[in-house]
Formats: sequence, C-alpha cells, structure tokens
Amino acid sequence: MNSAVEALADFKAEPVADATSQAKILLVDDEPKSLYALQELLSTLGQNLMIAQSGEEALRLALKNDFAVILLDVRMPGIDGFETAKLIRSRERSKLTPIIFLTAAADEMASMFRGYQVGAVDYLMKPVVPEVLKSKVAVFVELHAKSERLRESEEKLRRLAAHLISVREEERAHIAREIHDELGQVLTGLKMEVGWLAKRLKDKDLIDKTDSMGKLIDSTVQTVRKIATGLRPEMLDDMGLIAAVGWQAKEFQKRTGIRCRVKLPPEVKLDIDVSTTMFRIFQEILTNVARHSRATRVEIELVVAEDRVTLDVADNGVGISDSDMSGKKSLGLLGMHERALLFGGDVKISGTPNHGTRVGVAIPLKGKA
Amino acid sequence: MRILIADDHPIVRHGLKQVLAADPSATVVGEATNGDEALEMARSLQWDMAIFDFSMPGRSGLDLLGDIKREFPGKPVLILSMHSEDVHGSRVLRGGAAGYITKESAPTELTTAVRKVANGGKYVSASLAEILASECSSDPQKALHEKLSDREYRVMWLLATGKQISEIAKEMGLSPSTVSTYRTRILRKLSLTSNAALVHYAVRHQLVG
Repeated sequence: MNSAVEALADFKAEPVADATSQAKILLVDDEPKSLYALQELLSTLGQNLMIAQSGEEALRLALKNDFAVILLDVRMPGIDGFETAKLIRSRERSKLTPIIFLTAAADEMASMFRGYQVGAVDYLMKPVVPEVLKSKVAVFVELHAKSERLRESEEKLRRLAAHLISVREEERAHIAREIHDELGQVLTGLKMEVGWLAKRLKDKDLIDKTDSMGKLIDSTVQTVRKIATGLRPEMLDDMGLIAAVGWQAKEFQKRTGIRCRVKLPPEVKLDIDVSTTMFRIFQEILTNVARHSRATRVEIELVVAEDRVTLDVADNGVGISDSDMSGKKSLGLLGMHERALLFGGDVKISGTPNHGTRVGVAIPLKGKA
Repeated sequence: MRILIADDHPIVRHGLKQVLAADPSATVVGEATNGDEALEMARSLQWDMAIFDFSMPGRSGLDLLGDIKREFPGKPVLILSMHSEDVHGSRVLRGGAAGYITKESAPTELTTAVRKVANGGKYVSASLAEILASECSSDPQKALHEKLSDREYRVMWLLATGKQISEIAKEMGLSPSTVSTYRTRILRKLSLTSNAALVHYAVRHQLVG
C-alpha cells in the first residue's frame, strides 16, 4: 500500500501552459473547513478550483461548467453526495464527468457500492492523504486536457472537411458555369454563323460541308453540356432540389437500367446550400447502389416538412453489411455523413442481407423551424 | 412584328438578329443584355413578341417569364436555352412560354418558331414534343416495358446496351440459362423478336442514355 502511494505521489501533472488551458475542478463539501483544506492541498496543481457548499450549488455549477473532475462529499445536508452525483450524471453536459467521493472512514462498504452505481470513478477516505488526493486529481486533469485536445483536433478536421467540401462545390459550379456559358455561347454563335453561310451557298459540296460543320458543333454542344452537368447540374440552380432529384433518378435509370420509383413533394424553393448538400448525398447514394448493390429497383422518397427535408432511398440489392460500413472503402459514406453534419443533419444507413439497403437523410431547414 | 430579344452574350444576340433578318416582317426593337433590362424594355417599348435566353445574370429563367406573363399576359415569349429540352422544356411551357428552342437548333428552327408564335400558336420542337408526349402518358400500363418486372427491366437494359448473356449473368449474379429465360420472356412481353429490335425499342423509348 505504501509503495503504491509513493508511486502515485511521484506522478506529476504536466505543467500548465496558460490560464485558458486551466482545467476546472469542483470541490463540494458542506463544511467550510474541509473545503479550505482541499483548496490548500490542490492549489499547487495550478488549476482553476471552484467550490460549492451544497449539492444544489454543485448542480448549478455543473450546469455551466465542464469540470475535469468533481470531488464530492458524501454526507451533506439537503441533497446528499449520491443524489448530487446522480443528478450531475443525468445531464448531457456532465454525464461523463469523473466524480471522486470523499467519505468518512466510518461509512460502510455498502455506501461505497452505491457511490459507484451513481457514477463515482473513485473513493477517498477522510481524512485524505494529500499525495494520494493530489496525484488522483492530477490524473483526471491530464485526462481532461487530452480529451480537450482530441476534441479540438476533431473539430479542426471537421472544419477543414467542411471547408474542402464548400470550396470544391464552389469551384465545380464556377467551372460548370464557365464551360457552359462561355464555351456554349460561342458554339451557339458559331452555329448561327454557319447557318447563315449555308443559306447563301449554292454548291452542293459546300452545303454538305456546312451541314457536317453544323453537326460537329451540335455534338460539341452536347459534350459541353455533359461536362457541365456532370460538374454541377443546372437543374439544381434553375429548378431546385425536388426537380433535380427527379431528373437525377431518371438519368440514373437510363444510365444503369436500375428502375427508380420516385415520390416527390410539390415543388418548393429550398435553401440552395441545403439543396446542394441533399443532392450530393443523393448522388453518392446512387453511385453506391450502382457499384455495390446488384439491385434492380430503387425507391426514392423526398419529403419537405416544416422544419426539415428528408430523403429516403431503399434498394432491393444485396444489402450493406456492417463491415462494409466501417471498412476502409467507406470514405464515400463518411463524406455523406460529413456533408449532412455540416448542416446539422444526419444520415442513417441500414442493410438487410439480400433484401437491400436503406439510407435515410434528414437535414433541418433553418429559418423555417 | 416587333421583337424584343434578351441574351447576355453579344455573339448570340448578333446571331439571333442575323437569323431574324431573313424574315423581312421581323424587326428587332430592343436588345437586352440581362433579365432586369429585359423587363425594363418590355415596359418601355412597343413590342409584339419576346425572345429570351433562359439563363441570364439577374432575374431570369422562370422568374422572368412569370413577371412578363403577369404584366403582358397576351404577348408571346419564346425561350431560348443552352439546356436541352428534357431539362427545362416542359416546365418552361407550363410557365407560360409560347415556345422553347435550344440554342443550337435556333438557326434552323427560330424563323419557323417566330412565325408560328406570331400567329398565336405554340412552338414545340420534335424532340420536346416526344418528351411531352411521354410525360402525358401518365398511365404506366400504356408502355409495354412498364409490364416488365424490375429484374426483367434490368436484363432488358443490359441487353439493349449490348451486353452478352454471360456478362449479364455475371453482373447480376444469375446463371446464364436464367438470363436466357429472362430474355425470352422480355422479348415476348415487348412483342419483339430479336436483340436488334430490342435495342431499337430501348432507344426509341429513351430507356438507354
């Protein structure tokens, strides 16, 4: 026991860089003397110590702060330590906050179990051994700092992904517009010039030549259209999401021979960014159907409600498996999730072997809620 | 015939005037370079017919068409577009346009369209007519291929795109003999006798793209 205490005492927390990276620690005890002692003991850790003299006060503080750890006295008048812990743990914000119970040595083992049940991660007998207390708290401070850093880097990655998505979308739209408008219009002008020329020609050979020039221009216009539409369907900007989904389904059926049954709501104008997001997710779903599902039918339903737009796509193929969803090849799925998340939406995917895959996408509509 | 034209591309406006010049009864009275200008001109000028590009900077497309039709319900508007008919055609007509022409067909179709529209008619190109017809046949029983099961439909599509029986079998995870059975059934349901006829059927009904 002694050596363990020494080992723990040797543990040193990383030095704290600045005030903003200070972890918050909540000390809860109804006796001011105990609180003072705890404060004194832990002040050397250089963290932000907050105190509460009752369960109620502790709850209030836990509502507004994220604590690295909470030191909680078991015996308090009013709401006792167990009840306080239970309430703290029931809140979304603090449901994972580590709680160390402080208890008089006289308390029974039974109460200890009760403590673990309501979410205690540790127990300390009063009077506490200063080194033990300090090193335990230090461990949680370090853990807290690490998870903060992880959260921050996740947040950064998410923002980067969001940025990349929107940059790519803008660029595609820009290139599509340039190709379609500039190149397309020049070709149109050219076609008209050739037409003008053709009308003034008498020589059959020359007329044949202008005819074939006209055809060549037509097929170039088709190619321009195909490239531009592939980059960004003009439908989406001109006619909105609902028409674009219907059009894409039709195109998909033509291109793959997989039948689409589409249920669409009456046309309404939706936010263009939400529309783009939904449309890109829809395209990704269809790509997956064509690539992996072996389906012969896809059922598509788009619903626009007061506060959100939902898309449901179900195929009758082999069905996605859990390993497909978590595998390395699931980057496309990850992309769908990221896109939806960007607008506070979500994507649910489920597969039943040989009965197909179902994808549900929901994106909230801001300003309409 | 006083005509108002609007297109943001000088080269297209130039081309349009050139094409219209072939018709001595047509005079271009105004040339707008964007949607807002088009609306202004429509209010300030005397005109009988408008030819508008579908996508222009500012107000354009269905919005502009809607405005014009509200203020000048009796006057025909012909919509020109870079987009093919299947994308916008039927919506533009429903939006009140007197006609829809893709820009590449303008040299050959524009004068016909103008004449038709000037006489109070509607101008619909042959390919748009086909699209409209297929949209109108809301009764799915009418088309023979609607009677195919989903699996038959896919086999039909694969055959129509030139796939061999063995390739289809592999692609769909079926045995070649099953695919052959499907083929026989498909031909019977579509009242066809050969793969070539099937290809023709699929192309005619725009089932392949």
